[in-house]
Amino acid sequence: MTAHPRIWHLVLILSIFSTPLVIMYVYQVIDSIASPDPGSLIPGEIDLSNWRFLWERIDMGRPSIWMVTFNTFIFASTTAFLVTLLSTTAGYALSRLDMPGRPYFLGGLIILHAFPTITLIIAIFIILQFLGLFDTLLGIILVKAALELPFGVWIMKGFYDTVPWEIEMAGVQDGASRFRVWWELVLPQVKPGLAALLIISFLSGWSEFVLPLVLAPGSSTQVLSTYMNAVIQDDASADFGLFKAIGMFYSIPVIVIYLVFQKQLMNIYGGGTKG
Amino acid sequence: MTSRMLGIGFLSPAIISVCIFFLLPVLLTVVFAFTNMSTSTGIMGGDYRINTEQLRSLPDLDVSEATVERLETAGFQITEAGLTALADQFSKDTAEELREDYLGETFESRRDLERVLKDLDEPIRRTRDRKEAADLFAVTLIGERFGTEEEFRAALGTTGIDAVDHDVLTEFAYTGWTWTTDNFSLLMELPSTLRYAANTAFYVVATLTFNILFGLFLAISTFYLPGRLANTFRAIWFLPRILPPVLYVLMWNWFTWDNGFIATVMGWFGVPAKNWMMHTSTHAWTAIVLINGFVGASLGMILFSSAIKAIPTSMLYASEVDGANRWQQVRYIILPQMRWPILFMTSYQTLSLLTSFEYILLATDGGPGRSTEVWALAAFHTALNNYGGNLQYGFGAAYALVLVFIGIALSVAYLRFFNFKELLSKPRIEQ
Amino acid sequence: MELRLENFTKRFGDVTVIENMDLTVNSGEMMALLGPSGCGKSTTLFAICGIHKMNGGALYFGDRDVTTVSAQGRSVGVVFQNYALYPHMTAEQNIGFPLKVQRMPKAEIRREVERLADLVQIGNLLDRRPAELSGGQQQRVALARAMIRKPDVLLLDEPLANLDAKLRLEMRSEIRRIQRETGITAILVTHDQVEAMSMCDRIALMRDGKIVQLDTPEQMYRNPQSQFVAGFLGNPPISFLPARADASLTLANGQTIERPPGLEAMGDVVLGIRPEHFGPQHGTGLKGKVVFVEPQGREELVDVRLDGGGDIRSILPAGDPIRPGETVDWGIAPGTILAFGPNGDRL
Repeated sequence: MTAHPRIWHLVLILSIFSTPLVIMYVYQVIDSIASPDPGSLIPGEIDLSNWRFLWERIDMGRPSIWMVTFNTFIFASTTAFLVTLLSTTAGYALSRLDMPGRPYFLGGLIILHAFPTITLIIAIFIILQFLGLFDTLLGIILVKAALELPFGVWIMKGFYDTVPWEIEMAGVQDGASRFRVWWELVLPQVKPGLAALLIISFLSGWSEFVLPLVLAPGSSTQVLSTYMNAVIQDDASADFGLFKAIGMFYSIPVIVIYLVFQKQLMNIYGGGTKG
Repeated sequence: MTSRMLGIGFLSPAIISVCIFFLLPVLLTVVFAFTNMSTSTGIMGGDYRINTEQLRSLPDLDVSEATVERLETAGFQITEAGLTALADQFSKDTAEELREDYLGETFESRRDLERVLKDLDEPIRRTRDRKEAADLFAVTLIGERFGTEEEFRAALGTTGIDAVDHDVLTEFAYTGWTWTTDNFSLLMELPSTLRYAANTAFYVVATLTFNILFGLFLAISTFYLPGRLANTFRAIWFLPRILPPVLYVLMWNWFTWDNGFIATVMGWFGVPAKNWMMHTSTHAWTAIVLINGFVGASLGMILFSSAIKAIPTSMLYASEVDGANRWQQVRYIILPQMRWPILFMTSYQTLSLLTSFEYILLATDGGPGRSTEVWALAAFHTALNNYGGNLQYGFGAAYALVLVFIGIALSVAYLRFFNFKELLSKPRIEQ
Repeated sequence: MELRLENFTKRFGDVTVIENMDLTVNSGEMMALLGPSGCGKSTTLFAICGIHKMNGGALYFGDRDVTTVSAQGRSVGVVFQNYALYPHMTAEQNIGFPLKVQRMPKAEIRREVERLADLVQIGNLLDRRPAELSGGQQQRVALARAMIRKPDVLLLDEPLANLDAKLRLEMRSEIRRIQRETGITAILVTHDQVEAMSMCDRIALMRDGKIVQLDTPEQMYRNPQSQFVAGFLGNPPISFLPARADASLTLANGQTIERPPGLEAMGDVVLGIRPEHFGPQHGTGLKGKVVFVEPQGREELVDVRLDGGGDIRSILPAGDPIRPGETVDWGIAPGTILAFGPNGDRL
């Protein structure tokens, strides 16, 4: 597009709307490392005491941050791994394999993809109690993975759909079984999809809040989101410096992934998908 | 390996997990909505028991006073259990004599039994002791646990309680959950139902409008900006989408709370500090719509941007050659192409806004008062997180059931966005 | 190896695409399946591959009945229109894949790959991935991969469609050379009559799921069995003129032509005249006006609108000073007129 002389109008309007966000981002970083100065917005001296949660318990009865971080990592990575694994096979079956009832599976997938899973949380809460998985990491991992699955299958099916049929036909013609064709010829073509799904479901697991809050409320299964929420809820003095430092710590993987994969992430989310 | 076998193998793990965590929960939400499950009933079923504290509420159930008395003391019977207790607390000989002469015998009143105790060869002499000893043989249902309904009813029968009260008492004594339609009649009666529904409608419409209009504005304006500037704005607006909700809402809390940004800045102008998020329900709603709206606009921007990118540039050049100005280009070229993305976004977001409560929970938790309590949050509060401590799973499930029905209906409608032919077309390798 | 398709029937759902088709391809022969899109030629190809199941009939490779044998179990090499090379493998790995599936020892695979690479003349490109190869080179890799198993039958699905005009010419003769050198039985599926005529021993021309004529290219061009065949073959295409046959042939516009010898039909007919058979070199007889001249370098196409109506096309050596608007009186080469009945059958 040619440059337009009145483009600064747009820039001005956009800037006005963006200001609150930018202020939030900037002070999120500043306040986490500067001593708070009540009633003023000019940061005080550099003060790392906000980060004390890393080396001491901020109050009694709260689990150590490292255990919480470990829980979060296990939760997010296992979920991402499970979702990717099951989506990789199920997506291929739905995209390519001739089997009875395929249209119904596809229709069901679309419905599930749109269906707001959070409405089921009460029933899931009770199911986990029946199964004895309530307040366990395994329980929320299974639930989170299952709830992310329709999205994952949908994404992977989309990636498989772009692999030319002729590649598979050629493989079959070359004498390879359907399984071998999938493993050796098709799977390498959808590697970008696997990576994208791994990243997205890891991010989703890392950010998840409601599921651990409801299904794993105990302190031994706390994850960073519920830990941070509990610190905010329990602290009457609203120590934003501490909150923001925890927030910074919590969002490190998100920020790193965002900086590295921003463009790819936008593309994936832009494909008309849930996220 | 045929593709049928491979397909079944590849799909079954996903199908199993879908069955356990989707289909089963949907069914169970329906089931639970017709029960009175709560923390006090438990979820596993229960037994039959009436304890002393409960006796006081019995007259409210139109149970006659005679029945209440009978429940407490239904008479006296010489039983092995009573005899053992008697032997322990008083005298073995007395107990032995009582067993020989009276085992299994019943007495209408304490006085009758006391007389027997007094007239024994080895009598209990003191009046107070006799009273205590008699009580050891009292037949009562209070505090006693019955595993099944039959046992409880049989016990009621032996106490001689008027049969008209049996049904009421059985129901009253059951400690587990029962089937009921009360949840729905309660939903119909409670004034809060209408309130939550209205809140939800307002929340969805306002947030959705903001999402779409602002998302469109972001997409179109960044489209016309030079590369670097556009990318900067896109980066700023993409972040809300991927930041963890807890952190994102924390930033808003800092921005709006009484020791936060707005309060500080307004303080410079002499405005007293207040909580700009929770001060009034108007404040709360504004915050809620903006918090959700920024995230939604972020999604809208991404979605609409990729739709604009898909418009052939030759079309845009042609319109410029034809002398269209920016506004006309947007109005006649870009917006018509946005019809499907907007429809998609509308239907998709309606569904997720109707049912999501994460951001509201974190920001206002439905407050101040109940002014920002939406339907989904009400379900959550009722069943999973209320201050009373008694979580009403059944009633919460009734709330959720409404959303489940709407969810199913809307997501079936959403199927229409997809190409049915593509769904029905057969895979090209037939094996 | 001879390939025989008997009573082949294929249905998609309720739609019968091909019904009771018979086709025999002789050993070492290259056969074209030619026809417009949707005529069923690709369906036939997929059935021979084993990618589609047959709903009826039988397929023999030599004496072996392979009707129910899976694609993997048949010995068929296929070159697809987009080559379908495996993008993540080098040319060498692509060509060797069919042997790797058969668990052949590595050294042997290497030797076979080199033999095939020499045959298709890409010996120096074996380390490259498909993305680093030109269209023609990709085609050669695909050909080598299809042939490395020494298949009973080689199937070529529009192999030249994705190439530019110059490469297409080159690959046309290359494919034919390789097929001749190896003596493999081959089927070429194409919608391009020039490809079919220039590359194949015989052509099976298909329409609506049926083979309408199976013949050598020359026979099919000279002696079409129907108006459809006559119209499909030949570039520039044949001109059709409706006429009435009695003592002579009276065109719709009133002009008359002499009856060709051997034509016995009377009544309404359609005459087919190929452009090379109409022109000043063939005398006079048809009067009209030149409406369009399209120079093509070596020759030029001339469209003539006959007096009283009807268009007929001529192809002439370049250099004749013919201009649009000129009136002409040109003749038809004797014995070249093709006549068709109202149902399109050759008379």
